[in-house]
Amino acid sequence: MSARRFARTHARLFAAVLVLAAVIPAAAQTSVTRTYVETLASEKFAGREAGSPGERLAAEYIAAQLSRMGAKPLPGRSDTFVPFTFTAGSKDGGSRAVVGQTTFDTTKDVIALSFSDDGEVDAPVVFAGYGIVVPETQNFGYDSYATLDVKDKIVVVLRYFPEDADQQTKGILARYSDLRFKAMAARQHGAKALVVITGPRSPNAGLTVPMSFDTALAGSGIPAASVSGAVAAALFAGAPKTLQAIQQELDSGNPHAAGFPLDKVSLSLKTSLVRETQTGRNVVAYFPATSPAAGVVKPWIAIGAHYDHLGLGRNGSSLAGKEDAGKPHLGADDNASGSAAVLAIAAALSKQPVRRRNLIVALWSAEEIGLVGSAAFVNAPPVPVNQLAAYINFDMVGRMHDNKLAVQATGTSPIWASVLERANVAAGFDLTLQEDPYQPTDVATFNQASVPSLNFTTGAHVDYHKPSDTADKINYEDLDRIATLASTVVRRLMDMDEAPQFAKVEQSSQTAGRTGVRVFTGTVPDYTSNAKGLLLGGVVGGGPAEKAGLQKGDVIIEIAGQTIANIYDYTYALELLKIDQPVKVVYMRGSEKRETTLTPGARR
Amino acid sequence: MACSLRRPALAIVCFLSAAAVGVGLLASLEAQSPLAERAALSERDFLTRIRRLTVEGRRAGEGYWSKDGRQLVFQSEREPGNPFYQIYLMDMASGDVKRISPGIGKTTCSFINPETGDVLFASTHHDPRSKQLQDEELAFRASGEERRYSWDYDPEMELYVRSAKTGMLRRLTNKRGYDAEGSYSPDGQWIVFSSTRQAYERPLSAAEQKQLDTDPSYFAEIYIMRADADGSGPKRLTNVPGYDGGPFFSPDGKRIIWRRFDEAGLIADVRTMNLDGSDERQITDFGAMSWAPYIHPSGQYVLFASNKLGFENFEIFMVDIDGKKEPVRVTYSDGFDGLPVPSPDGMQLAWTSSRGGGREGQIYLAQWNHQKALEAITNAPPRKGPK
Repeated sequence: MSARRFARTHARLFAAVLVLAAVIPAAAQTSVTRTYVETLASEKFAGREAGSPGERLAAEYIAAQLSRMGAKPLPGRSDTFVPFTFTAGSKDGGSRAVVGQTTFDTTKDVIALSFSDDGEVDAPVVFAGYGIVVPETQNFGYDSYATLDVKDKIVVVLRYFPEDADQQTKGILARYSDLRFKAMAARQHGAKALVVITGPRSPNAGLTVPMSFDTALAGSGIPAASVSGAVAAALFAGAPKTLQAIQQELDSGNPHAAGFPLDKVSLSLKTSLVRETQTGRNVVAYFPATSPAAGVVKPWIAIGAHYDHLGLGRNGSSLAGKEDAGKPHLGADDNASGSAAVLAIAAALSKQPVRRRNLIVALWSAEEIGLVGSAAFVNAPPVPVNQLAAYINFDMVGRMHDNKLAVQATGTSPIWASVLERANVAAGFDLTLQEDPYQPTDVATFNQASVPSLNFTTGAHVDYHKPSDTADKINYEDLDRIATLASTVVRRLMDMDEAPQFAKVEQSSQTAGRTGVRVFTGTVPDYTSNAKGLLLGGVVGGGPAEKAGLQKGDVIIEIAGQTIANIYDYTYALELLKIDQPVKVVYMRGSEKRETTLTPGARR
Repeated sequence: MACSLRRPALAIVCFLSAAAVGVGLLASLEAQSPLAERAALSERDFLTRIRRLTVEGRRAGEGYWSKDGRQLVFQSEREPGNPFYQIYLMDMASGDVKRISPGIGKTTCSFINPETGDVLFASTHHDPRSKQLQDEELAFRASGEERRYSWDYDPEMELYVRSAKTGMLRRLTNKRGYDAEGSYSPDGQWIVFSSTRQAYERPLSAAEQKQLDTDPSYFAEIYIMRADADGSGPKRLTNVPGYDGGPFFSPDGKRIIWRRFDEAGLIADVRTMNLDGSDERQITDFGAMSWAPYIHPSGQYVLFASNKLGFENFEIFMVDIDGKKEPVRVTYSDGFDGLPVPSPDGMQLAWTSSRGGGREGQIYLAQWNHQKALEAITNAPPRKGPK
């Protein structure tokens, strides 16, 4: 299960409320899933981080299993590996600042921010305090740019927010002190570039901002870099006040402590960022229908699970405690269990004498960093997605407790309750059906593509996203039962003439976008996009965006007068919206620039 | 207060009107019941591998087994356009479910003939207003209002039997009044059911008419008739004011078990009698709403539902067949648990529960630990009664 967007906080919640199963008895050696789980969750694969050697080994193991069962590469492909590229991180590519006659060119002195555009700017310099602009809607006047003209200039700002302000003021300012927001504010005011200083009164005084892992790829639209105390000193040479004194004044939170031009110095700033692109591999194979698909509507069906996990847990979503930090996150439940279920179902259905639909078996990578693998597949589908009758996903199915099995995304087709009821009579699970398809797993990808989908899960547990999610804790007996139930479901779907009807589920406001935003627009950002602007991965049924005529694939470039270069700009812009107050949205549909009016609703 | 079927509740909402009275009554009962009695045993002593059997649709309940345990017949609201129950037959091996009632109007209380596999149920589909009533109910729901109770003892309700061989329906009763809650004798030759027909057969006093208008179930009595009857000559077995309903035969076919409400419709108790109505015995005495009795196939004990522990908290209890011991609690979940029906081999229990959330019930299934149940009943203290 992906933690990137939602699950981190959820996981803590789950962990807190979960009543854990007692010791689970070892399953019989005849388990159809155990070997798969034990292999995938072995040290050899080192936690299967997308793009890592462990992921490659795991993909090869999976491909070999599928090949052994007689599965074939998808039509037009020579093997079952379906590679895709993704951004795994960034590093500075030689950023440089020339202040007067002094050149600073080490990363100790100048380092591009992870969302910087590449560029070289030679322009007048203006100091703009903390560089914070609180939207008017907050009824809290704070605008570092209020008295400044920064157009076509390089803006120098302090990192963080005023240190000595009262808690409430700090609370508000903190929300808008993210460097993404500061870069956007500078750009919105016409600045050519942004330079960030960690002030002498702040934590990490005088230090540059380390390069952060940032998979939301799009840049901020201007060059942006942080500089050391030495560079700061050079910039403030000849300034009316020392940086220490200026910061002290600003730190009271007094919004009227204005910035000023640093007109005694010249600055030439060059930023260069190298985004580290890696290749992940989905493993996708299929079992062709045994008979010509006469009368069968939508002749394809897919089952899938992500096989990647967190590797050594260095990228954010690990929940490992200090003592376990850096150890392999073996991901037995997340998601060797789901992968094993998919392989076991494939093995069972490979022996099916009659298959009326082509069965795709997909093992996704890069799910943990934002459903990247499945999204890559759907965005460039080897088989037309509208020919998929259904997609069945498995994510964390190895920790069954008390016979309880959750099936999610059942709202995506009116057929699901009935199909599941029938299949479960013999299987005998205590089923919980959850209609919501907006789940932090690959089922969300297929829901966005209007494919009737299901996700099977036994839920989170205390070992979620920790090195302690190991194969010995898997309940193999019940994992086998889940595979049997799902085989029955898939068999039934393969045999039907008709394809299940797709139903669009309205996204509940709790899962829509970022918390803390009060308005509801019904947009579903594509977090994996490199596009300039905000690429819509979908729109919520019945939501304001859909009503405004926006659709999946549109790229929003302006909303309420704010230009949008990326998801952060968009999130910030949402703060400016008012409930029930229509705003202009400019967006690209293909190469055509369009406009519409969107009326935000209230988050419930 | 009124409520439905072979049972009051599933419309759990239906108790709200009487809730104030009931809660006070039961609060005093609660004070008398020692906590230790509840701490000693738990649900898992009797029920294992608990699971939800029906998942489709808004609600389902009243599952009854075929004699070979391979089928379960139940009522469910699961098709668009009809907000009332229809009758479905589930194949317990393949999981296939098919509707066997006409699909229009209201139906309730099905039962499978142990010998022929024919299915008995009550239906109003012959009522020309059926479609209109469906639409009215849907419109009412769409309005967002809630009603106090939802079971109306529709006098159009008649008993039908669906032939297992031909699928044809045959009407068994033809009298104005609610005819429902029917079940077969073990040899499939007899049907016992509940009916309010007496209120429509004779002139009513003004007080009785008012009673009929507000709570027709008051007039429900137990009747017995031949399974091959055409509606003529059912024999009335009970003659006491208050709702008599939910009758079933004992496994040996010699007695009938049912529940009787008091005149106010607040307190109900489980009773048994001979097939001719003689030798009536009261099996429960909680002073609460104890109903939906069903005798375990061993013939040794009775499973039933009671709200002894809280007005809207129905739980399943069991008691020895003569009701001499204090009943033993079986379920320990919030919300509604009731309508227990053991499988013919006595090893499983189907019941209706709202434990999955919400107010509406669904059918649950679990393995039944018969030995443990016998032990618990044997070890139970003598019956205490409400006073």
